[in-house]
Amino acid sequence: MAKLQKSQPAALVDPVYSSVITLLIIVMACVEICDAVTVVDVYRLVQYDLGGVPFGSRLAALNHHAGSSLLSSSEVADLSRTVLILPVRELNLTLIREYIGQRKPLGGLLLLLPPVFSSQNLDSGGGAGHDSDKGFMKEVLTELERVLIHANIPYPVYFGFEDEYVNAVLADVKKNDATGQLATATTGGYKLLVAAAEPKKVTSPTVTNIQGWLPGLRADGDSNQLPTIAVVASYDTFGAAPALSVGSDSNGSGIVALLEIVRLFSALYSSPKTRGRYNMLFALTSGGPYNYNGTQKWLRSLDQRLRESIDFAVCLNSLGSSSNELWIHVSKPPENAYIKQIFEGFSSVSGELGLKVGLKHKKINISNPRVAWEHEQFSRLRVTAATVSALAVAPDFLESAGGLSDNRHFVDEVSISQSVKLVAESLARHIYGQDGKNTDIFADNSSLSVNPYYIRSWLEFLSTTPRVGPFLPKSDPLIMALKKELEDHTVEVNIQQEAFDGLLTFYDSTSARLHIYQVASVTFDLLLLLVLGSYLITLFSFLVITTRGLDDLISLFRRPTSRKVKTA
Amino acid sequence: MTIFHFFNCAVLTFGPHAVYYSATPLSEYDTLGTSIKAAVVYLVTTLVKLVCLATFLKVSESDSFDPYQELMKAMIGFIDVAGLYFALTRLTHRNISQNHKFQAVGLGWAFADSVLHRLAPLWVGARGLEFTWDYILQGLEANANLVLSISLAALGSLMWLRKNKPKPLIPVIYVCAGIVATMPSITSYLRRGLEWHFPKIVGFELFISLIMAFISWQLFVACQRSSY
Repeated sequence: MAKLQKSQPAALVDPVYSSVITLLIIVMACVEICDAVTVVDVYRLVQYDLGGVPFGSRLAALNHHAGSSLLSSSEVADLSRTVLILPVRELNLTLIREYIGQRKPLGGLLLLLPPVFSSQNLDSGGGAGHDSDKGFMKEVLTELERVLIHANIPYPVYFGFEDEYVNAVLADVKKNDATGQLATATTGGYKLLVAAAEPKKVTSPTVTNIQGWLPGLRADGDSNQLPTIAVVASYDTFGAAPALSVGSDSNGSGIVALLEIVRLFSALYSSPKTRGRYNMLFALTSGGPYNYNGTQKWLRSLDQRLRESIDFAVCLNSLGSSSNELWIHVSKPPENAYIKQIFEGFSSVSGELGLKVGLKHKKINISNPRVAWEHEQFSRLRVTAATVSALAVAPDFLESAGGLSDNRHFVDEVSISQSVKLVAESLARHIYGQDGKNTDIFADNSSLSVNPYYIRSWLEFLSTTPRVGPFLPKSDPLIMALKKELEDHTVEVNIQQEAFDGLLTFYDSTSARLHIYQVASVTFDLLLLLVLGSYLITLFSFLVITTRGLDDLISLFRRPTSRKVKTA
Repeated sequence: MTIFHFFNCAVLTFGPHAVYYSATPLSEYDTLGTSIKAAVVYLVTTLVKLVCLATFLKVSESDSFDPYQELMKAMIGFIDVAGLYFALTRLTHRNISQNHKFQAVGLGWAFADSVLHRLAPLWVGARGLEFTWDYILQGLEANANLVLSISLAALGSLMWLRKNKPKPLIPVIYVCAGIVATMPSITSYLRRGLEWHFPKIVGFELFISLIMAFISWQLFVACQRSSY
């Protein structure tokens, strides 16, 4: 009887509070989402299919305990339910390559990048003392990126940035791993959680090319009969983490240089007196990392007559490295008259600027789908073209396209200014027939000088804007900004939008929020239950003894059925 | 696992109330009705308190300790005592001895308090993935609160229901009742004014509650002895 009644208070009280409780539960459901110890932004490794073959990280959702090292835990064998947190600073590349190569199971991977690589902190990373360190990190990152991009990884891989809290968590996890203890509340077990839906294919990605036109001065007749000079740069990027691929050098520096050249020539072309007898065609093309297929589409769509009027095209690519060497990459033999002319124009100016310019010739193999340089797309359509770049060798597919390590800290504004001057000056001398002469058209401190502030502000904007083509919607602010900038300086701006090449398919959820929870193990809760049970039993016994006497307690256990008779 | 933890914390928070009810003679004299009435009175008292708090207190943006506001709060806290007075004296109870009446009222009072103030945070927090000691501590606090409520009810029954008390004990009873009644204000002062951490506060509460329970027990026994 007594036992029965014991359960009654809850049942009777319930209706009174039930409405209150339901109301509270609703409130709680909303609160519950944000009760984690910490939430950090993380960026997922790219996931894409190349011709139907899957690459990259194939999962987005994450819900596992944290671990800290491949080695120590490999003795424990099963890592398939563990998220490894690996700071790139201390990364063992051979180990990770082996791990990914053998497709060993893992719950997930969280790679922590040094804060220097965050596009958010532009100012702080400029410490001169760490230059060698940064250089080393850059190499490691490039290598890591290469491994990750070309692998099919069946678990989620995220990139995050080291910060105070994450480092504290990592230290805790490491300590825990070192002692080999199971994760408990007191020793610091952590659970990492990313609530993300199954990644979906990016639907109908587009390639957007932006083109600006500065007509030359025609003495009589149609301007179309004037020859045209094209300046082209591709603006999109590709990297291990699409949300981090800001590509300051590849090809942010090219965009910046192009915009500055547009600005300089628009100043010249604004007055009929100084307008040249060449049309200027500027284009920002998409699809750069994917064999410049945006450039190809743009060229194909150009009016036949216009395309044939192009005298030559200069493509700008990766101009930001701080070396004094630039390369002019061509695909026609250097003996070709046009190439000779371009190269001589550049090298005479470069001498004055104290730059070194070299010529590199790489033949096109039509049967090979790989297009390493943008000018090769022009050459395939028999338009004379050259790529100006600080890179000496042609990058491989999907490489040097603005990955993780390519950010503002590794780009030198001064080199960009120099390159701008070199290209603008050589073009201007060609346009105004000053070839080989020592006329300084864009002289420093003149009204036509290269503006370093303009370069810096654009570089900073581009260095904080991820630009992986398939993830840019048609009216992305970046595209609008570039269009507006061209509109300000050119006469006619066209935007060309076409469907992205079907060979590559990208998947969304490129960035997410990682919740880090400190959790207690089941063992802890079991122990707690034991302690609580004994506490309640002790309390019960104590109360029975003090209020009814010891005999009563004993009789409770001896003859529970006869209790009622006795008490009554 | 998290449901498990929630269950643990719930056992710690509400278990002692059930144990108290079933272990003491309360269950045998069927005092559930009294407890429920006390709980309802608590609910009404809390409502009145909320209205008073909303009327007389400014909402402070900072979490700092403002003596005037705290004094106000303490004054409003005495509405609790009024509620308890009502529950002990004005409610018609079935014929149960004073001895059991105060226990039943205190129990109902503490249980209602636990349900109102602790069930919600428990449901939100302890089921989450994140582990903190807070909910276990909160459960311990509920235990301390149970002891304090019963002590206060005992002292209240001595003050209001027992006519022939030994004279020298009367001031002691009033002082003790005063201390127990101001406990919420004291803990609030410790938390905000002295910035004690939660574990320390809970420890303090447990300690004080045990002392007060012991003192009120002794007082009760003394009064009972003198009345015979």
